[in-house]
Amino acid sequence: MATSKGMNGTHTESTPPAGLRGQTVETSHGLADDPDFLDPVGHRPPLILGAPSFHDVTEAVARPLERPPTRAWWACLLASLALLGLLGVSIGWLFWEGIGVWGLNNPVGWAFDITNFVFWVGIGHAGTLISAILFLFRQKWRTSINRAAEAMTLFAVMCALIFPGIHVGRPWVAYWMFPIPNQMGMWPQFRSPLMWDVFAVSIYGSVSLLFWYVGLVPDLATIRDRSKGLRRMIFGAFALGWRSSMRHWQHYEKAYLILAGLATPLVLSVHSIVSMDFATSQLPGWHTTIFPPYFVAGAIFSGFAMVVTLMVIMRKAFGLEHIITMKHFDYMAKIMLLTGMMVGYAYGLEFFIAWFSGSAYEVFTFKNRAFGPYAWAYWTMVSCNVFLPQLFWFKKVRSSLVWLFILSIFVNVGMWFERFVIIVTSLHRDFLPSSWFYFRPSLFDVTTMIGAFGLFFTMFCLFVRFVPIVAAAEVKSVLPQAAAHPNEAPEIEPALPGRTDLLPGGAR
Amino acid sequence: MSAPHHSGGTGPRPASLHTDALHLPPGHSWHRLPTVGLTLAAVGLGGSLAFGLLGGTEARHQLWHSWLVGSLFVLGISLGALFFVLVQHATQAGWSIVVRRLAENVMGALPYLALLFVPLAVLGLGDLFHWSHPEAVQSDPLLQHKAAYLNVPFFLIRTFASFAIWSVLAVWFSRQSRLQDETGDHEITRRMRRRSAPALILFALTVTFFAFDWLMSLDPHWYSTIFGLYFFAGSVMSFFAVLALVALAAKRQGLLTLVLSDEHQHDVGKLLFAFVAFWAYMAFSQYLLIWYANLPEETSFFAKRMVGTWSIAGTVLALGHFIVPFFFLLPRTIKRNATALRLAALWLLAMHLLDLHWLVMPNLHPAGMAPGLLDALTLIGCCGVFLAAFGGALKRRALVPLRDPRLPESLTFENV
Amino acid sequence: MSFLTGLLRPSLPPGEHFGLLAEFTSPAELYHACEGVRDAGYTRWDAHAPFPVHGLERAMGLRASRLPWVSLLLALGGGITGMGLQGWVSTLAYPLVISGKPFFSWPAFVPVTFELAVLGGALGAVFGMFAMNQLPTLHHPLFNSQAFERASDDGFFLSIESWDPQFNPDRTADLLRRLGAKEVELIASAPRQAPALGGATE
Repeated sequence: MATSKGMNGTHTESTPPAGLRGQTVETSHGLADDPDFLDPVGHRPPLILGAPSFHDVTEAVARPLERPPTRAWWACLLASLALLGLLGVSIGWLFWEGIGVWGLNNPVGWAFDITNFVFWVGIGHAGTLISAILFLFRQKWRTSINRAAEAMTLFAVMCALIFPGIHVGRPWVAYWMFPIPNQMGMWPQFRSPLMWDVFAVSIYGSVSLLFWYVGLVPDLATIRDRSKGLRRMIFGAFALGWRSSMRHWQHYEKAYLILAGLATPLVLSVHSIVSMDFATSQLPGWHTTIFPPYFVAGAIFSGFAMVVTLMVIMRKAFGLEHIITMKHFDYMAKIMLLTGMMVGYAYGLEFFIAWFSGSAYEVFTFKNRAFGPYAWAYWTMVSCNVFLPQLFWFKKVRSSLVWLFILSIFVNVGMWFERFVIIVTSLHRDFLPSSWFYFRPSLFDVTTMIGAFGLFFTMFCLFVRFVPIVAAAEVKSVLPQAAAHPNEAPEIEPALPGRTDLLPGGAR
Repeated sequence: MSAPHHSGGTGPRPASLHTDALHLPPGHSWHRLPTVGLTLAAVGLGGSLAFGLLGGTEARHQLWHSWLVGSLFVLGISLGALFFVLVQHATQAGWSIVVRRLAENVMGALPYLALLFVPLAVLGLGDLFHWSHPEAVQSDPLLQHKAAYLNVPFFLIRTFASFAIWSVLAVWFSRQSRLQDETGDHEITRRMRRRSAPALILFALTVTFFAFDWLMSLDPHWYSTIFGLYFFAGSVMSFFAVLALVALAAKRQGLLTLVLSDEHQHDVGKLLFAFVAFWAYMAFSQYLLIWYANLPEETSFFAKRMVGTWSIAGTVLALGHFIVPFFFLLPRTIKRNATALRLAALWLLAMHLLDLHWLVMPNLHPAGMAPGLLDALTLIGCCGVFLAAFGGALKRRALVPLRDPRLPESLTFENV
Repeated sequence: MSFLTGLLRPSLPPGEHFGLLAEFTSPAELYHACEGVRDAGYTRWDAHAPFPVHGLERAMGLRASRLPWVSLLLALGGGITGMGLQGWVSTLAYPLVISGKPFFSWPAFVPVTFELAVLGGALGAVFGMFAMNQLPTLHHPLFNSQAFERASDDGFFLSIESWDPQFNPDRTADLLRRLGAKEVELIASAPRQAPALGGATE
């Protein structure tokens, strides 16, 4: 029987020695006592370092909320609020003056606005990938980062939702986007991908919020049980009276599994639908069938870059080095390498099929993309998204926080440029050469773009202050001492001639 | 010790397993698989060659189109296996070790399946591919434009290179795995992991262009960037169907009963389900975007498949390749039930075959579906080759990677 | 109506005492204790742990959750609503020809249908879970116990309610101790009074 450790890491039961009876070696492999079981070939080290007890995890997660805020936090919050103010001013001026304050021109009717929209929706996707898809793939390392990544998803969706709202120019009729008839009895145009977007992104936001909140409930109860007075009441109300009941956990785990099962196709559908804003058109460079999976891969790519950027800062600021370990960064770097190559595959295929199609328009658009007036943007994109991430092949790069941080910023930049390249290069030289125009962003294009980061980081600062930033209950469940009944694996015996008595007889 | 670890099926595990129990026992009926396979191959391929080559031009056209469908059917299964094995190594998966050897045996067929493409390449190109006729290219500016890519020598080089890459990968990964049975060296696991990532890149590129070459260029004017992924999705799905069938058949035949649990079956079922959905995602993305933009150079593909009975085939695919199996495979109990999973796997294999038929045949029979004897014979023949290669690989070595360091993990894993 | 009030009001045993609360030191001990309590034939009892202990539901002999059916039903409802609404709007309520597409352009309606199905499924999963768990239940007699605060930190508890047919304050407490409980506590039903009467320790 294998060992189980008590809550303070002490052995409460000892391992009987593995018996040696003649030729028959009978050992049991328990999760708790056999390091080889977790890591038979040196590539699966413990997820959480320093063998913390359950209580240590609670402390590590709850302490940042219970300490008075640090000066660094205030500095971050104020800087973010300043940027948020900039966003407010930019949007206010936009509403006052109209869309003319942006650098849009006749062929380029979409530029920074929709670039920002797609960029932010994409950022959100890593959160859902971590919370849902990696959950379905039983990737337990996700537990250390899923809470923060899901929060990132929510805030990114908030940033994204600003842009379709403001780019129509007449915000007072924004309700035309809702599925209700207007004063003329007319309904929204359900055949339009822009309408699908409204549904996809708002439902994505809602489901992500539900997922996030469900994950939070046990941790809110943890904070409730550690605090007094008003704080206890507030956290108690949000914890809904959670009492860690196993009968509750049973439905809870099922709900979590269902949410993961639903969020997985949801996240694929959301960026697929975003891609259809472009791909359902007949515009060369926009209309190509690989867009849905290509956009999804790009979204996950950019989202992971943002997770890495944030986690490098967060683990340092809150001393979570033993929970968010270098192993986590290693995995995230590998996912970036994979998804970066997927977008590289799509870039290449787009060019090949543009040529293969034999369509003069397709060929022109792609030549123009790579060698036209926006070649600088195109090659920025390719360098940041395809060339630079190749550095992640090297273990040294994957295990250096400096490299990871720098490369993650490059990927964020590159993925922003990807959307810019797709949107602007296809528009700026349309079918009528007399209307060709070069898009230049105006000051307000830039302030709105930067201001959105203000919203994102303001929300993130508030999040790290008021909400448990690591899913404590989930991290506890992947600690080795969490296993209640270690499994025994049968030992595979060497073939011994004539020892048929070793064959397990009774079992079917 | 007394905890009921497995909610269904296998019952308590023995404390030790003898390696003899992990080999195909002497005298087991599966030793005859290669003979059975070769007989089927001889009958099917020999018969189809006889009927096809002696029956005039029409029969010859039919022969090569049918042969292509049959070969792509078994090739897709083996490519799915190669993909599966590579991904297991790249992700250092633990659960799948007990089914990995079965997948290795399936991918082991790849070098033999190359033989199926030899007659196609030597005799069939002219009957299959409009662009391979110089006079057709002469009168078609679009084909002249594409001639830099769509020409016979380059096409043959690409096909040869693809098979060479797949065969080398399949043989190397199988051999390393078998080597580990003997030595138990952990370095082999690490080496396979390191090589799996570049191998996956090669896999992605070769499969994409193979699909462009052998399927998309049947209609040389048509193009779709997602087409490689479409072929990949269906192929991997068909592999998981085969894996489920093989694993369940092995258990029924008294093999691996002590190592293959309901948990592994459940996971294979989940992957089958996932790829049913992934195929639908690819298929619908392609359809929606082409339908929506309504450009004549793209819609030609679907227009051709809305003629006569082809439209019925399309509807059957939408329902039978997605809607019905999706809801059928959704409940946990179905994936853990051997009979239900076997039924789903067989059904999906049939649907995958229909999918390939629907991709290839409208080029030959524009008026409507016309399945015939040659379709059946070539399918039997191709499956025979596959079966022979699979059976041959199966009996040469243990049925699970005996000394894979993660085997204990795989043996005891449980779904939450 | 009674269904709704039933959802909102927790089902609690009548009488002065809610039941017994026993603390264990590790998930493994809790696991074995649960097996013991299950085998002793108790029905109204529960385990409490700061995380879902793998396999504990089997040790407790719980039936599989029926939550997936709630979720599936609402997902189908969402999907039917989506396709129905779009179809009705485009063919009956205000038919318009747009970009030469048919009134009932089903391929264009699939995305919204799918999204609404996901929304329905997610709402069903979350609110179905809350309903099945009777949450929110902001107060519960178990919160009378000071020690129980650790159930969300590192404590592993087993509670047996007083309306269980097998329940007997002494014999049940003995059973729990035999099963390895570190501490057994009798929990009052009434909310804890101001400082003095905090969770009578048995």
